[in-house]
Amino acid sequence: MLASWKQLIFQILLLLISCRHINTTSPDPTPPPLVPIDSLPRDVRRAAFKGEGQIEKVEVLNPVNLELVCTWTGHQDKESNITGFWRKDGLEIENSHLTVQLENEQYQLQRVFNIVSEENLGNYSCVFESEVKIDFVVAVPQIGEIRDKPIVTYVGDSGMITCKMEDSKPMPNTWKWYKANGTDKEEIFAAAERQRYEIKNNERKTKLLVNNLTMADSGLYYCGAVYTLSTSMGHVELKVITYFEPLKPFIAIVIEVIILVTAILLFERSRSKKNDTEGDMMSDQTNTLSPGENNGLEESSSMRQRKT
Amino acid sequence: MPISSNDELGYKPLDGGWGWMVVVGAHIAIGFAYSMPKALSIFYYDIQEDLECSSSEIALMSSIMLAVMYAGGPVSSWLVLRFGSRPVVILGGLMCGVSMVTASFGSSIIYLYICVGIIGGCGLAFNLNASLNIISKYFLVRRPLANGLAMAGSPVFLCILAPINQYLLDSYGWRGSLLVLGAIMLNCCVAGALMRPVAQAPSSPPEQKVEEQPNNTNSNLKESCLKNISFFDVSFFKDRGFTIYLFGSIMFIFGAYAPFLFLSAYAISQGIDEHSAAYLLSFMGFVDMVVRPGTGLAANSKWIRPRIQYFFSFAVAYSGLCHLLCPLIHSYSFLLVYTFCFAMSFGMVFALIFECLMDLMGPLRFPSAVGMVTIIECFPMLLGPPIAGLLVDITGDYKYLFILCGSVIFTGGVFLLVMNIYNDHMLKKEKNAKDREQNQTNMEDQDHKDIKRTPKAMMEQTEFEVTEDNGTQGELEIAETPN
Repeated sequence: MLASWKQLIFQILLLLISCRHINTTSPDPTPPPLVPIDSLPRDVRRAAFKGEGQIEKVEVLNPVNLELVCTWTGHQDKESNITGFWRKDGLEIENSHLTVQLENEQYQLQRVFNIVSEENLGNYSCVFESEVKIDFVVAVPQIGEIRDKPIVTYVGDSGMITCKMEDSKPMPNTWKWYKANGTDKEEIFAAAERQRYEIKNNERKTKLLVNNLTMADSGLYYCGAVYTLSTSMGHVELKVITYFEPLKPFIAIVIEVIILVTAILLFERSRSKKNDTEGDMMSDQTNTLSPGENNGLEESSSMRQRKT
Repeated sequence: MPISSNDELGYKPLDGGWGWMVVVGAHIAIGFAYSMPKALSIFYYDIQEDLECSSSEIALMSSIMLAVMYAGGPVSSWLVLRFGSRPVVILGGLMCGVSMVTASFGSSIIYLYICVGIIGGCGLAFNLNASLNIISKYFLVRRPLANGLAMAGSPVFLCILAPINQYLLDSYGWRGSLLVLGAIMLNCCVAGALMRPVAQAPSSPPEQKVEEQPNNTNSNLKESCLKNISFFDVSFFKDRGFTIYLFGSIMFIFGAYAPFLFLSAYAISQGIDEHSAAYLLSFMGFVDMVVRPGTGLAANSKWIRPRIQYFFSFAVAYSGLCHLLCPLIHSYSFLLVYTFCFAMSFGMVFALIFECLMDLMGPLRFPSAVGMVTIIECFPMLLGPPIAGLLVDITGDYKYLFILCGSVIFTGGVFLLVMNIYNDHMLKKEKNAKDREQNQTNMEDQDHKDIKRTPKAMMEQTEFEVTEDNGTQGELEIAETPN
């Protein structure tokens, strides 16, 4: 406990000293703390080789001494000695070649990595005999629950973008928001532009409220979950449209309805006019027919046909 | 057993011609009525985020819409009896359109409850009720087919509206989507325009027949009409057939919707991925689309039409059996088979549910009857899914949901079957007794009367009795028949 407090004070001092060098146009790289490496907590991850393309995810939040252990049961004809080495991000780590002995029917490679800064995060692989490989993706917790479809909002309205870190993952220290400006990201400071932006931070959730939207506000917005080692990013697209956009199909459909209703009613009126003129002729005919058996026979025969 | 509408309505139903256009109109109106509450669920997530409400609060919106749609039955019936179907459907379409447009400006969930739930639900109630009524006026012989085709609107429109809603949501957000949906719902007015009012006294033989018969018959009809213009005609409960039908359909409605709502959740809990689970629901829609008109066609055949109440009870029992068998095997192919059977039984029951009521009550009493039935069916419809959901929450297993729904529905089906047999038996007895009486009085009348009465009318009556004997049920509502 005491060690972690000392660590924290050291880090804060370092942060204050290196404040001048912080770049505002890109996410702050956490300066490497000059802490004795031995006092870092130790974490061990083991993985046994199961098959091709095996990837193990390792989540780290704070600086840690990460020990990665790979085990492999070997081929049918197990040799007593094989070579093994480590890679980081596809590049071989210098001086990591080792000769591995067969112990308890398996080969074991292990190495301790000092994860103290953002550069230390990445893809670590242990390789046996240049053929058997296990990947460890060492990263801060990634934002999983994020919207993949664009949020559609209207000019003059206010839009809200939410980012959430799942309950199963550790909470970030804080949240930051960025707006994409070409290929760069610009951080959004709600304090500076209180009229336009409002950031509500919960521990697991963050909400960016953009007021008084304009067309220029469309684009990609990035939310960053800040951990000690690094910031994990998620992005959401905001689309701003004018009220005329949905109004166009609305008016088109209303016009279509009016046309159809009028057409149907007009058709009906013309038919009834025809029937009226015909009816006058018909009524003369029916009056001549005797109201009796002829009609009755017709009626019943038609019913018989209908029923069968 | 089809009642002689000639005598009740005073004219011969068209059974074709413009009637098919009326079926198209009814198809559209009923389609919107049943599919809109379900199709709105696509907007739930976005509305939830925007208005900051819980998922149960947003789901309540659809429940209110469905509840008002069914509860508005009696009001709709009253309006149809006074003004006819066309103005009511046009009004319903306008109300739906207005409800969606006003909802698009909503800023609180209560506002949505009122706009979409109450006003929208009312509009849908007018659509549904008036469409059913006009079918009973236009069709007699081909009425089961017409009903099947009209009720097929529900799955057809659900299949159409679901992707449209998704596209609208992606393009315009939920507010713009509701605005455009309001316009789309105005097409119910087009459906209403198609529902040409039936000419009560056309210039053809029926007019003569009306003249020939004693005038008090006409006034009798008018009187019964006025009597029926009441919200709640309790005398219906004295009708045995009606009460049996009501109980059976209540039991069916109670268990019908829960499996539908929980199907994809159940599939996912069985380890099936989300896409396949969603595919199950579309598969259901397609099967339903085909089964409804098919059932209507089958029910129209000369073997089934006289026994249509039994066909209905079979369909209900079959549905219950499907649900009971569902939790037995856990594989995707079996789930597909279950979905197919479920969709088939669902479609069969819904194609027949209103046709059977028309068959029982006849075109004159049907408007009030359907209003009463829908408002009573409101309760099982609202209670069923939450109770089933509660069961799932308590037991943690979906199979109890299927067992509950299946057993309730199956009991309903068996109840309908048994009670229909009993009812037919009782009706035959009553009919025989009345026939004997009437034969006596007829023979006395024959001596006194001239041949003022048209032989045609007599032949129609005997013709009808002949066809009655061919069928097995004798449900002639003697109170309404003139002569």
